[in-house]
Amino acid sequence: MIIVIDGINQHLFSDVLDEMFKLRARVFGDRLGWEVNIKDGRERDMFDDLSPAHVVSIDDEGEVVGCMRLLQTTGPHMLADVFNSILDGEPPLRSSQVWEATRFCVDTKKLGRGRGKNSVSYVTSEVMIGSFEYAKMAGVLDSIAVIDPVMNRVLQRSGNAPYDYLGTAKPMGKVVAMAAMMDCSDERISGIREYAGIEHDVFMTEEQALARFALSKTAKPANVDHKPLTELEKYFVEQMHSARTKDEVSAVLKLIEALSDRFTPEQKTALLSTPRAFAHEA
Amino acid sequence: MKLIDLAAIDHEERSAADIINSVCEELGFDYASYATMNPVKGDVQGYANYPDEWKIHYGSHGFHHFDPTLYKSALSIAPVDWARFDQDEKFNSVFRDAHDFGITSRGLTVPVRGPYGECGLLNVTRDCSDAEWESLKKRVMGDLQMAAVQAHDTVMQSGLLAKALYLPALSTREKEILQWVAEGKSQQDIGDILSISHRTVEVHMRSGREKLGALTTPQAIGRAIGLGLIAPG
Repeated sequence: MIIVIDGINQHLFSDVLDEMFKLRARVFGDRLGWEVNIKDGRERDMFDDLSPAHVVSIDDEGEVVGCMRLLQTTGPHMLADVFNSILDGEPPLRSSQVWEATRFCVDTKKLGRGRGKNSVSYVTSEVMIGSFEYAKMAGVLDSIAVIDPVMNRVLQRSGNAPYDYLGTAKPMGKVVAMAAMMDCSDERISGIREYAGIEHDVFMTEEQALARFALSKTAKPANVDHKPLTELEKYFVEQMHSARTKDEVSAVLKLIEALSDRFTPEQKTALLSTPRAFAHEA
Repeated sequence: MKLIDLAAIDHEERSAADIINSVCEELGFDYASYATMNPVKGDVQGYANYPDEWKIHYGSHGFHHFDPTLYKSALSIAPVDWARFDQDEKFNSVFRDAHDFGITSRGLTVPVRGPYGECGLLNVTRDCSDAEWESLKKRVMGDLQMAAVQAHDTVMQSGLLAKALYLPALSTREKEILQWVAEGKSQQDIGDILSISHRTVEVHMRSGREKLGALTTPQAIGRAIGLGLIAPG
């Protein structure tokens, strides 16, 4: 489900935004290799300081799984000030009825293939529906999105093909960036809804969004994020991974028990009681 | 920080005051106002067609120092319905007084960001039922967006320095399309000639019109010819 976070309500959602900046760092920095500034595992730039609107998707477990950033083209925006090489030296569009969409991403690590609720395709559609409907309510008719060819293909495949492109695609760091034009029309929105099988209202109220986000903080067992840190822990993880029989597994557990003075009590509990700590490396 | 009524010092032909008056007449609002914060001095300057008694009351009570319809709306990129402020103590203190002057708290603000990071705000009010308000919003939001950018640009262009900075920068595509319009071609024709979709033609025309501060395409053509950006057809 979608929540729009802007300069007016952002004080309620600082934790959600923090997760969103982390997601952007994982996607644009780690996975796509864009030339972005990452500090403390969070990707932020100057446009985040201009009170943009963030269209954020939070899944049933309360995790931030997709986002997009919207700015007016009448004021400072990325195509005018950063991605202007795409425009081949031409001045950018400027219209109160055209918005710019940037930093569009979904959590491809958490989400799977297919069309289900936890798929890349579903969340992509949800973010798109949310941003087009939000723009339409604002009297905005078109949006111009800075995307890469991978996202471009995703859009073309999901009933949401851009109707045109501005300027020409240009290499930006390791990838190519392009400016795609999409209308915020009922036809486009219903096309995406049909493709994704989303009939319901995608927007949450502020209260619903906060309640949903709180799930990510409480529902998980405390040590689900345990990652093996020491060489010894890593060794046990490898042993457990290669164990083929029950006997082999219990032998590893015995060894952990025998060497337990080498761990802190927390590490030991984590190793013994969290199968996911093993699954993580496997 | 002062509250400045620009109508008192403005003698341009079509001023922002004309724009807010036509917003009321043509789109069906009771009152409208335009405000911007001077980035250097922090003054709030603008136009309003509220009754003079309310303008005086508003200024003398210093409401422009904390009115959330100004300060908070500037933080949004989308029009802000004042219903969003109904729990806001500052909003309520301004509009409790407004009520005594016959001014409703049912309104919205369209924020416009300018190229130098400055922000202009078009505010409109209408005393009506929920249903009427919702349908009015749906019908006129696009027109309000255009009126807001016109009012903002008109104010920004009124200074000489700003005038120099604001010379419209039309792209080749925008000029090319305006040129074909000047030759009498329709949107569909132009799309065919340039091998682009008519939607793309429309977007470039809209952008061109707004850059030229024009309400209609013929007006944009006139201005573009006047500025030597395109040739007479």
